[in-house]
Amino acid sequence: MEVRALSHSITRRYSIQGLWSLFLMCAFPLHLWAMILIFRDMSWVIERTNVWDAIGVGSYGMIRAFAESVVVFVIFSVLGFLTPANWMIDRRIAFLSLLVILLSAWGMIAQLLFLWNVSPPESVLRFLAESGHPVRIMIAASLAIVTPTILVPVFLFLRWDKVVGSIQELSERLSLLTMFYLIFDLAGLVIVLIRNL
Amino acid sequence: MKNAITRRDFLKLAGALPLGYATSRLTRPFKSTSALQEQSKNIIVIVFDALSAHDISLYGYERGTTPNLARLAKRAIKYHNHFAGGNYTTPGTASLLTGVLPWTHRAINLNGKVTPPFIDQNIFSAFNEYYRIAYTHNGFANTLLTQFANDIDEIIPRESLFIKTYDTLISTLFKNDEDIASISWIRNMKVNEEGSAYSLFLSHLYEALQEKRIEDLKPLFPRGLPTISQVNPYLLETAIDTVGKRLPETPQPFAGYFHFMPPHHPYRTTTEFFNAFRDDGFKSPEKPPEILARRIITQTSLSRMRTEYDEFILYCDREFGRLYDQLESSGILDNSWLVLTSDHGEMFERGIAGHGTKVLYQPVIRIPLLIFEPGRTEGTDVYDLTSAVDVLPTLAHVTGQDAPVWSEGRILPPFMPSSSDRGIYAVQAIDNDPNSTLTQASVSIVRENYKLHYYFGYDEVSGEEIVKLFDIRSDPEEMTDLAFSKKSTASDLLNEIKAKLAEADEPYLR
Repeated sequence: MEVRALSHSITRRYSIQGLWSLFLMCAFPLHLWAMILIFRDMSWVIERTNVWDAIGVGSYGMIRAFAESVVVFVIFSVLGFLTPANWMIDRRIAFLSLLVILLSAWGMIAQLLFLWNVSPPESVLRFLAESGHPVRIMIAASLAIVTPTILVPVFLFLRWDKVVGSIQELSERLSLLTMFYLIFDLAGLVIVLIRNL
Repeated sequence: MKNAITRRDFLKLAGALPLGYATSRLTRPFKSTSALQEQSKNIIVIVFDALSAHDISLYGYERGTTPNLARLAKRAIKYHNHFAGGNYTTPGTASLLTGVLPWTHRAINLNGKVTPPFIDQNIFSAFNEYYRIAYTHNGFANTLLTQFANDIDEIIPRESLFIKTYDTLISTLFKNDEDIASISWIRNMKVNEEGSAYSLFLSHLYEALQEKRIEDLKPLFPRGLPTISQVNPYLLETAIDTVGKRLPETPQPFAGYFHFMPPHHPYRTTTEFFNAFRDDGFKSPEKPPEILARRIITQTSLSRMRTEYDEFILYCDREFGRLYDQLESSGILDNSWLVLTSDHGEMFERGIAGHGTKVLYQPVIRIPLLIFEPGRTEGTDVYDLTSAVDVLPTLAHVTGQDAPVWSEGRILPPFMPSSSDRGIYAVQAIDNDPNSTLTQASVSIVRENYKLHYYFGYDEVSGEEIVKLFDIRSDPEEMTDLAFSKKSTASDLLNEIKAKLAEADEPYLR
């Protein structure tokens, strides 16, 4: 009985097509970032070992990206149950996709700041050092910057259907590209298996 | 054809079966009372990875990095001009273990393996009447031990002495590709250490879990826990205690090889030695940037790294002192030859830090060698030029065996009279096919007080040859290149290197 209730609850909120679309949206930023860094590291690894090892490093990265995509997909799918039950399935998928994109963007920005060697101005650092609570201030400042960048798009999403349509369109366009990434994952799996024979 | 069941396979089976267990127990007392035990002393070889003689106070370094070695060396034979066979783990360790130079054993690539004849011609096969036991933290050295496994009675599993963390999973899961899997794991997950990671979300979760797991130990290591190339944290104390407890229980005579990771990078010393040399006024001589450097590191960074390295050496020194004391109090040293050495050095000059370099300056190839003879109460200083390839024939000689015929080394003084009629070589050929002639390599030769560097085939100099000559007795820091002012000496040494290279390449000419 409970299984049936659960199944009913899932089918009311999601369709197979919708879940697949959400999975692809979860996989896209994770794979994109992994591939950017894999290509960035390629010459470093080749210089120290060889091309085959560099491909190996990338292959493990792709498998991890796939696994992480599954984990993120599951988490967001569960989060989807917190959205209003009267939402259309497509709207829910679009909303969750928006959240994935925003969080991934911040994940990338945080790392890019390091890679591009961006640090706060000297005066800010001095202020932090003299404040006595540098960590607390940094957390508060980060929240002050990040929170609006999440809340504003969410507000726009809830307010205008045009935004929903844009997200759906973006999702469709990225799907094909993400399918290619999944093919790379498969190739990565084969390479890892060969390397471990 | 290879035997269906090797001796090692049999030992593995014996460990797995109750009957085998009983059998091995029964055979041990028999083995220990054999006639061999009456004559033969045990052998213990201790290797600290990347320990440069240049940074050891016992060898004249300004900073007091080795107070324990100084204490113990009063009973040891100290070799002051000892050289590694190569400038990183694979060739350096393979030369120590096989008694031949890298151009002969051909373990020249990163994580490379020795060429087939040396799978059965190594320190373990030379002591085939002994119980042979080995351990290493280092993955590259482990590759070699695995290659020699048929001649080793017991290899202590590498992971068994790591701190149990989630990183261990990678070593276990991808055993056959551990090195690359670990590199990828670092790049995928170590967002805090690397600043960036392939993983956007899981890396943060992973680091948080990992931090929690090693929380208790973190205060003891202000620069972070020592790790094997940033995965698999370990405590040197654990390895030292394991060896210290294990050897007195090991069937005798035994030949033990123990290769510890420190002071290899990352240089993470304990609180006891943290900042021991900070602002101590020490200044390394400034040297011109090296043309073959991958990228030039500033002098300030080099000085900081060297300070951290020196503080890490203090940790090694303390732990070696502890091991020595444990072995001495157990009585094992009364009946054992103890060797302390390294596989290669480490450098912090000319814009280069570490040892993954093409150059062969003194800090990266001059390593310590101390031999503790059973019963010796006085120290001896040996200033002859000696090589890592000499260790195997010397150990064979002092334990009453013939020096292995394949070895390119010599029996060291004082066990044989000194002689200065040979050059001491170090070889770096990481980018070559081990089964072909060497086309891009670095070779150094030291003869009497001169050292010649020979570099060929490198893109940085459009494939041109580089030759440098130094008088290392009057100029130990290798500051003044004499290749032009002492042309005939340079030419003689260069011809000697080229003749040796041709000889080493001969089997690979197609």
